[in-house]
Amino acid sequence: MNNYFVRRILQIIPVLFIISFIVFTLVFVAGDPVSLMLPDDAPPEAREELRETMGLNEPFVVQYITYMGNMLQGDFGESYRFNQPALDIVLDRLPATMELAIFAIVIATAVAIPLGIWSATKQNTSLDLIATGAAVIGKAMPNFWLGIMLILLFSVTLGMFPVSGRGTAMHVILPAVTLATGIAAEMTRLIRSSMLDSLSQDYVRTARSKGLKDRIVVYKHAFRNSLIPVVTITFLQTSTLVGGTLITETVFAWPGLGQLLIQAVNTRDMAIVQASVFIIAILVILMNLIADILYRFLDPRIKYN
Amino acid sequence: MSEKLLEINNLKTHFFTEAGVVPSVDDVSFSIKKGEIVAVVGESGSGKSVTSLSIMNLLDKAGKVVNGEILFDGKDLTKASEKELRNLRGDDIAMIFQEPLTSLNPVFTIGNQMMEPIRLHLKLNKKDAKARCIEMLDKVGIPRAEKVFDSFPHSLSGGMRQRVMIAMALSCNPMLLIADEPTTALDVTIQAQILNLMRDIVEDLGTAILLITHDLGVVAEMADKVVVMYAGQVVEYADVFTLFKNPKHPYTQGLIESTPKINQLYEKLHSIPGTVPNPLNYPSGCRFVDRCPFAMKQCITHEPNNTYTADGHTVKCWLHEMDRIENETLKEKVRN
Amino acid sequence: MSHESQAVVNDISKDELVENRPSSLKRWMRLLWRSKTGTVGLIIVVIALLVAIFAPLIAPYQPQEINPVNMLKPPFWMENGSMENILGTDNLGRDIFSRILYGSQISILVGVMSVVVAGFIGVTVGLVSGYFGGIIDNILMRLVDSFLAIPTILFALVILAIFDSGVFTLIIVLGVTNWVNYARLVRGEVLTLKERDYVKAAHSIGVSNFKIIVRHLLPNVISSFIVISTLSVATTIILEASLSFLGLGVQPPTVSWGSILSDGRDYLSTSWWLATFPGIAITITVLGIIFLGDWLRDVLDPRTQK
Repeated sequence: MNNYFVRRILQIIPVLFIISFIVFTLVFVAGDPVSLMLPDDAPPEAREELRETMGLNEPFVVQYITYMGNMLQGDFGESYRFNQPALDIVLDRLPATMELAIFAIVIATAVAIPLGIWSATKQNTSLDLIATGAAVIGKAMPNFWLGIMLILLFSVTLGMFPVSGRGTAMHVILPAVTLATGIAAEMTRLIRSSMLDSLSQDYVRTARSKGLKDRIVVYKHAFRNSLIPVVTITFLQTSTLVGGTLITETVFAWPGLGQLLIQAVNTRDMAIVQASVFIIAILVILMNLIADILYRFLDPRIKYN
Repeated sequence: MSEKLLEINNLKTHFFTEAGVVPSVDDVSFSIKKGEIVAVVGESGSGKSVTSLSIMNLLDKAGKVVNGEILFDGKDLTKASEKELRNLRGDDIAMIFQEPLTSLNPVFTIGNQMMEPIRLHLKLNKKDAKARCIEMLDKVGIPRAEKVFDSFPHSLSGGMRQRVMIAMALSCNPMLLIADEPTTALDVTIQAQILNLMRDIVEDLGTAILLITHDLGVVAEMADKVVVMYAGQVVEYADVFTLFKNPKHPYTQGLIESTPKINQLYEKLHSIPGTVPNPLNYPSGCRFVDRCPFAMKQCITHEPNNTYTADGHTVKCWLHEMDRIENETLKEKVRN
Repeated sequence: MSHESQAVVNDISKDELVENRPSSLKRWMRLLWRSKTGTVGLIIVVIALLVAIFAPLIAPYQPQEINPVNMLKPPFWMENGSMENILGTDNLGRDIFSRILYGSQISILVGVMSVVVAGFIGVTVGLVSGYFGGIIDNILMRLVDSFLAIPTILFALVILAIFDSGVFTLIIVLGVTNWVNYARLVRGEVLTLKERDYVKAAHSIGVSNFKIIVRHLLPNVISSFIVISTLSVATTIILEASLSFLGLGVQPPTVSWGSILSDGRDYLSTSWWLATFPGIAITITVLGIIFLGDWLRDVLDPRTQK
């Protein structure tokens, strides 16, 4: 068990290494940042000088080693647009993104758990049909389009919520619902199928044969087992969740990491791009590790195999 | 001793599937007296498990009891409400299943699962319920019961798990224990231990057992009476000595012959040719007709009735129904 | 379901399948007809494909056709709307209906082709990784982990920021960022198949690695592959729309559903139809693909068969 986690954590090192390499190579290929940093009428000598000081004339390998060295000290370079260390800017935006993500997950779970369980216990009834139908439509709708439609309906037409920005509780509702829809759709489908699986297991029959109430059979015996894949897979989908936040933040002008990143991509502010990709990757890897730990925690069978 | 604990009359249980209606149990009748062990024998698909699940209505959604009555202690369970059935389940009637591994919930401790029926039916508090669990675990011969109480099913061996199932089933002193292939999934040596344990405890507590099995060896060892099922129907019903000494139905005869015996070591083992007919498309006459060595013309066209003989032996076969009819006409002639 | 009834039902469906096997196409149609969502899915997908192929014949206007006197006209059922532009026009007077029809070409093309690219990379990596194991497997799997740690859309964004975006780039980028699922699927299958006796037997009589992979391993992963690819086309269509919405996907004058939507966003308060209709087109198409994919999974994957 301990061995497993040691191995699991050791595997993270080459992964971070590969990510840094990919990101660095992309930025290297992206070409000369100097033209972006200096005004168009800057003399060629000035450009050459800046290149030299930034180490851009060094060969690829040397540049990469320097980059790695800096990165290990938490230095991702400076944003040419903000004139600040990229990492600071990225970390500064992180709380807003987290806020949005957490709200979305809470909403999604609150909807998906009862919906998934009900549709599984009432399989093939109209309630099941409505729930699975809603889930599949939620999955089919592009996130950003749903966001726009919500703005159109609730902000533009009804004037109930602000169109964009962050601040009050009213601000967070629409983007959180937008983001939550996709997650809830996926989760409902997952809970439903995993509940159907649990409910057909022998131990459910045993539980019923003991005279337990349906409520206890479903919520204790079946659901506790269904939780294992549901929790694990939900954590493993952090990457999709982050992807969703990027788009949702742009739609709602939510001042988080996603908005920052898309601006950075559009303005080729590569220091910010690198730092955000790295922070996001670490976040995702961490969540995957938690998924692993939770899986082992939730399923006592693992210890004996 | 002679009072009937469970009486099943003309039970029909059907499964309503996409492919059609499956008559899994078709007109089954038998009874169990208090403290008695009755075995239901048959191949898989003969409807023996469905019969056992029908008693407490533990069938899944597709399955329904469509006809007949199930009298338990004089009360018809087919007409009982879900709440009344719940009060019976685990309390007056308990069940153990074939797979002790999958029948226990993998994510809860043995203690957690054992305490559920005890607290529910015996209304004990946590401490007393735990004491009761430990007592039962001791009783079924589990060493270090305290430790097993806190462990998860996967840390136990198959035999231990089945002992746990038995302890759990008997914890509320049921009047009837339904055991659905309780030893099939276990090693041969463990099988004998579990069977002995069941018999001892039953003698001790006076619990009746409905034993579902395909294994005639288990039947010979355990049962007082035997119900032989084929394709959803009871084809023969007798006490265990009569049945083994004088099996009347060709299917029962085939079953007994196909059981290996010590003195037959060098002979080729007998087997019944053919397979069980498709339940969606049962033959209109006798359901065993395709595999029966004595099949006659009317076996194909007409279903035989149950023939009762003097020693409480019931058989559903034309061979014996013909005998009876001949006898009766003979008697009538003599009388006239 | 209890074991008993399960066994009974399995027996029946097996018997039935054996009895009714006149031709495999007929059998498939029967299986399809039995699932309502599968049928609906197939119909939607076929319609979407026909629309994409015959867009030039169906569309009343050219997608780039500007008409300054006809700007921001609402759909036909509203006041000022007309049958000339049944779904209205945009800020340049372009016909929304025609643009959506043409947009389907790019959306579907990118969706399908990038899945082909992703599948090719993924299957190759998975086969190699699972079959050879050892160091190669270790390196490739760390590469997979790395790709898993970066959200697909983020990866695509970064690459598209560096290279000029266009339909071809988009296909390659979405392919390169999406291969991981296939690699993991194929590797997993290969690992279990490798231990089968017939593969070991082939190996022991000196059949080459390449032949074993192609003859014995590849056919076994095809059904799972089809299921994943189908569902993957759905997510890729959404992904393409998202990227085009962010301005990093297809560039004008090429239209895709995402880019029409993006144009419409600025006119949300006055002309809701610009952003609404392309979104509906995406949702319905994706819905159809999901239905079809779910049905394929139920039919092809023996593990989910009920």
